Amino acid sequence: MTAALDHAPASAPAAPARRPQRTGRGRPARWPAVLYLGPGMLGFAVFIVVPLAASLVISVFDWPLLGSPRFVGLENYRYMLAGDPAFWRSLLNTLIFAVLYTAVNLAVALGLSYWLMNLGGRWAAFFRVLFFIPVVTPMIGNALVFRLLLDDDGVVNALLAHLGITGPQWLNTAGWAMISLVMMSLWQGMGYNIIVLGAGISGISPTVLEASRIDGAGPVNRFVRVVFPMLSPTIFFCTIMTVIGAFKVFAQPYALTEGGPGNATNTLVLHLYRNGFSFDRLGYASALAWALFVIVMLITAVQFSQQKRWVSYDS
Amino acid sequence: MMDRAALLSRRALLAGAGVGLLGASGALTACGGPTGDPSTRLYTWISSASDREQWEAFIGAAKQEDPGFALTLEGPSFEDFWTKAKTRMTAKDAPALLTTQAARTQEIGPLLAPLDGLAQDAGVDLGAFNEAMMTAMTVDGTIRAVPYDAEPMVLYFNRSLFEAAGLELPGLDYTTDHFLDDAKALTSGDVHGLAISAGLVHLGMAIGFADGGAPVADGGLTLTDPAIVEGMQFGFDLVTEHGVATAPSAVDSEPAAQQELMGGTAAMYVDGPWMYQVYADALGDDLGVGVIPSRSGDARGLIQGSGFGIAAEADDPAAAFRTLAAITTPNVIGSVAHARGTFPSLAQERDRWAEGKPEDSVRAVTALADSGQPLVTTSNWNEIVSVFAQYATDGFRGRRTAQQILGEIQEATAR
Repeated sequence: MTAALDHAPASAPAAPARRPQRTGRGRPARWPAVLYLGPGMLGFAVFIVVPLAASLVISVFDWPLLGSPRFVGLENYRYMLAGDPAFWRSLLNTLIFAVLYTAVNLAVALGLSYWLMNLGGRWAAFFRVLFFIPVVTPMIGNALVFRLLLDDDGVVNALLAHLGITGPQWLNTAGWAMISLVMMSLWQGMGYNIIVLGAGISGISPTVLEASRIDGAGPVNRFVRVVFPMLSPTIFFCTIMTVIGAFKVFAQPYALTEGGPGNATNTLVLHLYRNGFSFDRLGYASALAWALFVIVMLITAVQFSQQKRWVSYDS
Repeated sequence: MMDRAALLSRRALLAGAGVGLLGASGALTACGGPTGDPSTRLYTWISSASDREQWEAFIGAAKQEDPGFALTLEGPSFEDFWTKAKTRMTAKDAPALLTTQAARTQEIGPLLAPLDGLAQDAGVDLGAFNEAMMTAMTVDGTIRAVPYDAEPMVLYFNRSLFEAAGLELPGLDYTTDHFLDDAKALTSGDVHGLAISAGLVHLGMAIGFADGGAPVADGGLTLTDPAIVEGMQFGFDLVTEHGVATAPSAVDSEPAAQQELMGGTAAMYVDGPWMYQVYADALGDDLGVGVIPSRSGDARGLIQGSGFGIAAEADDPAAAFRTLAAITTPNVIGSVAHARGTFPSLAQERDRWAEGKPEDSVRAVTALADSGQPLVTTSNWNEIVSVFAQYATDGFRGRRTAQQILGEIQEATAR
C-alpha cells in the first residue's frame, strides 16, 4: 500500500504549469523568482537600504547643508548622549507621548469598535465614517483649528468661562501642552484603529459569540473571554503600528506648539528635523535618526517577543 | 479592409496615447521649476501678497527705466527661505540672484558671491549705500549684497488712542519710564497699551539695543549682555507685572500682534518700517511712528534692512550683476520706498520716502536710522531664533526670567 502510494505521483499525469522550469543541468530556473522579486528588492535597496547606509555614513561627519563635510567619528553620538540637553528631553517627551497616545488610542478604539459591532446597521456605518473622517484630513490644517480652539483666549476657554471655569493655558504650560498634543493626535488618528479593529471584530464567527451567549456570558465576560482573545492578532497589529507612528510624531508639535513651551513638547523627530534642516547639522540629525531607528526597532522586537504571552492565533 | 481600418485606428490610438504621454511628461517637466536665463531670476521670500507686491514694485520701477527689463520671482515663505535657499541655490537650475537680510547675511554668506569687483567693473559706487547696512552685508571682508533698504525697528502707535487717553504723542526722547506710564494709561477694557510678539528681535531686543546692548559682539553670541537681558526682562514684565499687553503665543505670535495694532485693540507695537504701508492701509491717519524707548531717552536704532546678492555658483556673475544694478538704482529704490514705505538705503531718496507721511513719523524713523547700528548675527542665528520662540512663552508667563532663558540659549547654542 505504502509502495503504491509512493509510486502514485510518479505515475500521475504531468502538470507542466505547476512544475518549476529546469535548466539544462536539472536545477530549477531562478529567473522567474528574480523577475518577480527584482522590482520590489530594487525599490527596497534604493529607497531603504541605501538611505540607511548613507545616513549611517553621514552621522559620523559634521555635514552642513553648505560647505564641505568633516569626519568627526563618533562625536555626534557623544554629543547626543552627553552634550545635548534637548535630546534626553525630546526622548522623554516622545516616550510620554507614545505611551499616552497608544494606550488611550487602543482602549478607546477598541471600545468604540465593540460598541459599533453591537450597534450594527446604518448607524454603525455612519459612525464608522464619522470616526474615520479626521484620518484623511491634513494634520497641519487640524493643528490650525486646534490652535484656535486651545489658545489662551480660544474657543474652549471661552466656553469654559461661560460655565464659570477658568480654563488652563492649553498650549502654553508644559503639562497641558503635551495633553493637547495627545488629544489632537487621538482625534486625528483613532479612526484608523477603529476601522481595523472593527474589521477584526466582524471576522469573529457569530456562532462563537452566540455559543458564549447561550453559555450565559454577559457582555463583559464575552468581551474578555471571547472577543479579546480572538481579536488579539488584530490588536497586536494595531499596537505595533500605533507605537511606531507615535515615535515618529512630528507634524503635531511642529504646527501646534513648535516644541514649546521650552522643550516641553519637543519630540525626537522634531528635534531631528530642526537640526537637519533649520540648524544645518545633517550629521547630527543622522545620528538622531539612527538613535530613533534603533529605539523603534528594539521596542518592536520586544513587542514581537512578548506576543506569545497574550496573542492567540487559534481561530 | 475592416482589419486595416482597425489596425489604423489602433495605431492612431497608440500614436495619440504616445503624444499625450509625451505632452504630459513635458508638462510635468515644466512643473519641475522655472526655466530661463538664471541672471534674470530672483530667489526671494514670498510669504504674502504684500511681499509679492513689494518685489513687483522693484520690477515695475526698473521697467520704467528700461522697458526691456525682465526679472522673474521664485521662493518660499520667509520662515522657510533661510533653510531652502541653502539647497535651492546649489541646484543646477538655480536663479543667479537672491535676497538676503542684514541679520542673516553671515548665515548664508557662502551662498553669496563677493560683489566688490563686479560693482567696480560695472561702475556702481557701493559707498553711496547706507554704511550700517554695508557693514552688515559684509562677510569675510567682502560685500555680499546691495541693500535696498536700511530699516530701523520703530514704535508704531495709534494716535487716536493716545489722544483719547489724553496723552502726549511719543517724541524723539522717549524713555522706558514714559513708555510704561503711557502703556498703563492706554490699557483699559479690551484695549491694551501695546501688542507683543514672541520673536527674538522685537520689543525687548530693540530696547536692549537702544540701551547700548548687542546680541553679537566680535562674531560671538552675547545674548547675556546685561542691556539685552534687561530689555528682554522689561518686555516680559510688561505682560506679567504691569498687565499692559497679553502674553503672546509660542506659534505665530507676530501676525496676531500685528492684527491687534491694526484692529485698534493695542495702542503700540514694535516692528520695522517695511510694514508701514500695511499699517497705514489699516489705520489711515491714526498711524504714528515713534522711536524705540530707551532708559536715557536717546534714540538708537536697530537696523535690519535687506538687499540683493548674486549666487556664488552663478554661471555669469556679470550678467546677474547687471540685473541687480537695475533694481538698485537710486530711482528704483526711491520709487519702492515711496510706494511701499520701506526706508531707503540711499540717503538721497529719503525725501521720496517721506512724501505723504506725517512729519513726526518721518523725524522718528530718520533719527533711528541715523543713530542706528546694524544687527550683525552669527551663522547659527536661525537656531537661536527658533529656540527663543520655544522659550519665550515661559518668560511672558513669568515662569522664567530673561537671564535664565537667554543664559540657557547662549549655553545650548554655543556648540
